Amino acid sequence: MVPPVAVSPLIKTARYSALLAGIVFGKRRYDELKPIAAEERRIEEEEKKVREEQEKIAKALAEASEESILK
Amino acid sequence: MAQAVQKLVAKVPTLIGAAATYSKPRLATFWHYAKVELVPPSPAEIPQAIIGIKNIVTGVNSGRLGQTTVKDAFRNGLVCTEVMMWFYIGECIGKGGIVGYAV
Repeated sequence: MVPPVAVSPLIKTARYSALLAGIVFGKRRYDELKPIAAEERRIEEEEKKVREEQEKIAKALAEASEESILK
Repeated sequence: MAQAVQKLVAKVPTLIGAAATYSKPRLATFWHYAKVELVPPSPAEIPQAIIGIKNIVTGVNSGRLGQTTVKDAFRNGLVCTEVMMWFYIGECIGKGGIVGYAV
């Protein structure tokens, strides 16, 4: 087996500081994005309700106004 | 159907035993290398790292870094890429998922 190589301290420090920096960055970005996503979902819910109301009205109008001898 | 399930359940200890026998030597080799190569820097090594950064800065200023061979530059590029990958792994740990943010 090849003997394990001695890694330079610069690379070791760089690796583990990059790991720590990544953990901090990920946690912060997650905390920042979470309320934004909740807000978007809420807006989407409201718009969906409004759209469904309008669709129901449009459907009722269409059914009332269609002329067909099959009814 | 019930017999097939029973046979499968009876096989599980054998499978676990086989998995343990397979993985033990490989874990041993991994640990053998990781003990030396993957340990975090001890507090005594951090000043050496700072000296290393200073060496690189003086190398840039004196123009010595312009003399690196392509082979050395490629190797250094690979090392830098590996360090950047550790950052992305840290980000995956921080955001609690592998692909994307679970908002």
